[in-house]
This record gives sequence, structure tokens and C-alpha cells, in this order.
Amino acid sequence: MILPQAEYRKARSVEEALALFHHYEGRAAFLAGGTDLIPRMKLRLAKPLALIDLKGIEELRGVREEGDWVRIGPLTPLYDLRAEERIREEYPALFESLEATSCETLQMRGTIGGNLLQESRCLFYNQSEFWRKAKGFCLKMGGERCNATGGTRCLSNYASDNAPALLSLGARLKTVGPQGEREFPLEELYTGRGERPLGLAPGEILVEILLPRGRTKGGYEKLRVRGAIDYPLLGVAFTARNGERRLALGAVGPKPISLPVQDPEEAAERASAEVSPIPNTILSPPYIKRMAKVLSLRVMRRVLEEG
Amino acid sequence: MEKVRVNFRVNGEEVSLEVKPYETLLEVLRDRLDLTGAKEGCGLGACGSCTVLLDGRPVRSCLVLAPEVEGHEVVTVEGLKEGERLHPLQKAFIEKGAVQCGFCTSGMILTAKALLDREPRPDRQRIIRAISSNICRCTGYKKIVEAVEAARDLQEG
Repeated sequence: MILPQAEYRKARSVEEALALFHHYEGRAAFLAGGTDLIPRMKLRLAKPLALIDLKGIEELRGVREEGDWVRIGPLTPLYDLRAEERIREEYPALFESLEATSCETLQMRGTIGGNLLQESRCLFYNQSEFWRKAKGFCLKMGGERCNATGGTRCLSNYASDNAPALLSLGARLKTVGPQGEREFPLEELYTGRGERPLGLAPGEILVEILLPRGRTKGGYEKLRVRGAIDYPLLGVAFTARNGERRLALGAVGPKPISLPVQDPEEAAERASAEVSPIPNTILSPPYIKRMAKVLSLRVMRRVLEEG
Repeated sequence: MEKVRVNFRVNGEEVSLEVKPYETLLEVLRDRLDLTGAKEGCGLGACGSCTVLLDGRPVRSCLVLAPEVEGHEVVTVEGLKEGERLHPLQKAFIEKGAVQCGFCTSGMILTAKALLDREPRPDRQRIIRAISSNICRCTGYKKIVEAVEAARDLQEG
């Protein structure tokens, strides 16, 4: 499959990456592992004039402790993050979501930042240009109606395995962009709009993922068809820390949801009530809704019974 | 579009080429360097038949741009044998009948090599986990797993 024409530039610093983005007048895409972006380009879902490779920016890689936070460099490959003892010991929800992401080979190339900043997906969107033209362009492609429901709201699925885990852990993000630096809770990354699910400004670069320090208990459950690979069709993460317990669900709709847990039964009911699957995956919406309850209960029981 | 020069090592040899910036590593290996061991299956990173080693780690060469490998080391299945002697994994794949149509074979062997290089004593479950990055539509995987186990035992011996 042939890529559309694009220039390639390698940035050595965040400043250089921003300058390059400015040089291409915003019609460039930042490249990390490329496991989401390159297939999108091959399907002509993304046609940047240039790719700005961030992999030469060493400071965006690795895990370090600073003050009350553990700081994860977004360019850290998923596989390397999974191999960090601290992640396994202190953030089991994230450890399990990393393990469940795609396959090992893609974990070695794909990065945690890229996984968080992936585009949303839909059965009617992640297709060849030929296929999409034949069907008529949907909302996410600039068309006037949704090809899954006929409606006017895009509910493509944001299918990051690690986003629910990071939400349950209370993660924050730090970015640098043309407007300067900002730090915000992960929840605020999401617009809720499937056409453009991530609320980053053009040229804004994720530079850190921050986790509150301290040991947690947690887990992640994933619904998929093939155990070996596959994006999640539903992902449920749960974290308990000092009596505070949080459940987060992803891959259904453009925005993951997160809710505090008092009583697990009640929380699982609420989780299932809050997800609104539509017929835009290979599984039926009622099944996904039921599984939201099943997987929520499963992960909470597993974690809480482990003691 | 202007071409860019890229320098890297393939199977131990220095290579210097002018490439289109959006050419993939897979295209360069197959069409420029005549190293056709890596195959294009899905072209989207799902199947693993284009797997090569980049600095010792398996990658989908269909998702890697040629300019990204500047200064790096690439190994393809052609680079595994020493002189006329096949690599233990290649020998084991032949002896165990782990090759049917052969399309996935180079990717399977390289994924298995990367595993054995970093974890010399993987058990069966670990082998299955590692090669589950690669799809085979013929064998049902049994003989592939047996071949990797045989190569593991051979390199110990």
C-alpha cells in the first residue's frame, strides 16, 4: 500500500518541532511510532504535507520521579513502559492496559503518547478511500450524516487501551504549543465530538504524562475478538488508592468515561447505563452495553478480592 | 518531491540511497535492495509478514519510513545465515515443517529471533505470546511453535 506524498523532517527539540510545524503552516503531522498515523495516511484519512519526526527528542522519553508525581515521557514505547518495575508494582491498571494493547511488536514501536493521541475509529471510517467514496462521506470525513446511524452526531470510538487506565489513576498531561505551556487533567483532553475527539490546539505537543505518586491497586479488562491483537471494543479500568476508587470505560464513543465507586454493583450498573454504543463496530450495541456491566464487575471484584 | 539521502546498515553492510521521503522501509528493502524476504501482507501493520529487525527489535517495515532508519541497523531474513550455514531457527522451521505457503515465515523467524536474543529460555506460553504478533493462515501455529522450541533447545546444546 503506497503512502501519499509527504516530506520528512526530524526534530531534535520541542522548539524545533514547533518551528517546523509553523514552517508548514500547520499542514504537518507529528510522527512518533507511526502505528496509528501511517495506516491512516495509507487509507488517505490523513494527508499532511510533512511528517515531523519527534523520535530524536530524547527528553520526551523515559520515566522519572519528581516531587509528588511520576513523569512519563510520551515517546516511551509501550513495551518499555510495561517493563518498568514501578509501573508494574504501583500502577497495575496501567500495567495491564499496556499488556493488552495490540501485540508485542507494535508495543515496541508504538508510544504511550501516540496511544493517547490516537484518532477515533469507526467501521465506516477506517476504510480505503475507494470504499468510503462509494458509501458517501460521513461526518468525520466532512460529510453531512453519519453512515452508522444516519444522524448528525459523530460517535466514532476512541480506542486507546491506556486512556481508561490513566483516567482511573488521575493522570494529568503537560503540553507545549504555539500558545505556550499548559497542564491539565486527562479528562480535559477530550471534546466529546467524534469528528475531532482530541482538544489539542494545532501544533500543541504532549511533553509529559503525570501520575500521582504512590502505590495503587487496579486492573484492566478488555473486550476484543482476537486475543493476539485488535483495538478494544470496550476497555474497563479500575484503580483503588487509599479508599478512593475509580472506574473508567473507553472505546465506546469519542470520549472515555470515568466514575467514582462506592458500591461496585451500583457503579457497574451506572457504567453500563452511561455508555451509548451504536452500530459502528463488529459487535452489537446491546452486547457491548451488557459487557460494560460484566467487565466492570469482573475487574472490580478481581482487584478488591485480591485484598 | 525532492529525494533525501539515507544511510543505514542492512545485514551488516552499509547502504546509502536516495529515497522519496515517504517511501517505506519495506519498499526500499524489496524494490531497491532486492531483499524480498519481507513480504507485504496487509500493508497496515496488522499481519506481521513485513517484520524485520531494527536495532534488534522486530518492526513492521510497512509502517516505517525509509528516512526513519537513518543511522540504524536493519536485519532481514536474508541476513540470518552464516556463509552457507542456516540459522538454527531456519533449520528448525524446515525440519519441523513449519513452512507451508511461506508468506509469514520470514516475519515469524525474525520475531522468534528477537525473542530468543532477549529471552533465551522462553516456555511455550511465552513463545506463543511473542509470535502472536504475526499471522499465519496455513499452519495453525503448532509446527511454528515447535520449531521455535527446537531452535531454543538447539542453541542451548
